[in-house]
Amino acid sequence: MASTAVADRLRAMAGGSAVALRLRPESYADHYFAALNATLREVGMETQGQTIFVSVTNPASLVWSLAQALDVPAERLSFVDAISHTMMNYRDPLPNATYVESPRMLENIMLRVEYLLRKNPNPRTIVVIDSVNTLAIHNPPDLLSEFFHILLNNLKSRQVLTVLLAVYDETNPDLDQMLSLVVDETIDVSAN
Amino acid sequence: MSATPGSISGAFAGALERCRTGIEGLDNILSGGVPKGNTVLVAGNVGTGKTTLSLEFLVRGAEVGEKGLFLSVTEASTRLIQNLSTFEFFRQELVHEGRIVFVDVPVLYEKLGLNRDELTSDDIDVFVRTIESLARETGASRVVVDSLTSILYRIRQPERVRDFVLKLSQVLNRNSCTTLLVSEIGGGPGPLSPHGVEEAIVDGVILLGNTRRQGDILRVLQVVKMRGTPHSRAQYVIELTPIGLLMAPHLKGGRSEER
Repeated sequence: MASTAVADRLRAMAGGSAVALRLRPESYADHYFAALNATLREVGMETQGQTIFVSVTNPASLVWSLAQALDVPAERLSFVDAISHTMMNYRDPLPNATYVESPRMLENIMLRVEYLLRKNPNPRTIVVIDSVNTLAIHNPPDLLSEFFHILLNNLKSRQVLTVLLAVYDETNPDLDQMLSLVVDETIDVSAN
Repeated sequence: MSATPGSISGAFAGALERCRTGIEGLDNILSGGVPKGNTVLVAGNVGTGKTTLSLEFLVRGAEVGEKGLFLSVTEASTRLIQNLSTFEFFRQELVHEGRIVFVDVPVLYEKLGLNRDELTSDDIDVFVRTIESLARETGASRVVVDSLTSILYRIRQPERVRDFVLKLSQVLNRNSCTTLLVSEIGGGPGPLSPHGVEEAIVDGVILLGNTRRQGDILRVLQVVKMRGTPHSRAQYVIELTPIGLLMAPHLKGGRSEER
């Protein structure tokens, strides 16, 4: 099963690593679910594990319903939701989510991740950013590169494993180059 | 962020004794904190977090045994304490045990017979002496005046404004108090204080404001001046969270427009 192989690769990464998890657009739904299974359930639910999920592609409420299907308990998963406000979909905020008004407020996304890290200090935290493609829709490449450079270095210094979801064919060469610069390893979900 | 870029601690750190604000990002960019005894203007337009920053400065100090005095001009202390209770870093005991003392300045004016439209030079002397006595009586080593602007509404002549700020800074420094003076200013470029003289007298200026990116407003903080310590002059985005003020570098990749 793809998710188990991906989870094994993630477990093998050194503390503080940054990983790009590449999904194929033709199998997006399967790969997305495999990515959630690997990160939220298999790695995030290990002893003392927790996940901070930065939700930019889908509202946290949608990802939370998928996580519930995977039996992920609320205390193991927190969200930084940067899309619900923009989508005018903020009626029923989740108790385990903090909301940023716009995916363009990149510093606020950093600060909410920081907030959750300080609020729930945990030696085995994994931060998942969903996704590089969606952030690129809302932000110019130079700003996005700066964002990833600062955020990932900060998380690296705290030994936090960071997983960036990115869809093949939906990233331009600039974005691919930026990704290769900021991550330690790229995992192709379809190859696992 | 815990490791704030722009931190230059180490270069001259240790030259002067520091008053750690307890706000991690701010202490990083000040190379360890505000030099003890400094008087610092916390300037900004409405809703930028001046009062919250100042309150957190007192609370963090009280938690490490440094007593605080908050002189409130515009807002009743009871209401300030009520608002403060929404922050996880605050405990009511700090007030009950006298580790932070709130004083309503309008009540003080009344007691001192200073409730007239304009303060004279003698009134200013009485007022400054009273603040000094309060700092001594409470044993405060951290003082906040919120806001200096409201006090200066009653001091209209520029030379008296200068005289008041200078005397206040001197007496508080003499009593080893590190002081934050909250100053309300309009948006946009221009003086960092309503009279334009305050920033020249004080030891430091922390500027709070808003900046826009594609229509979204970001709260920002910048240390414009701080005597006695090397400091970053970069701009940082801030958030007032339940666990306190958090700072991140202001990303420069996008275009922004000052407000």
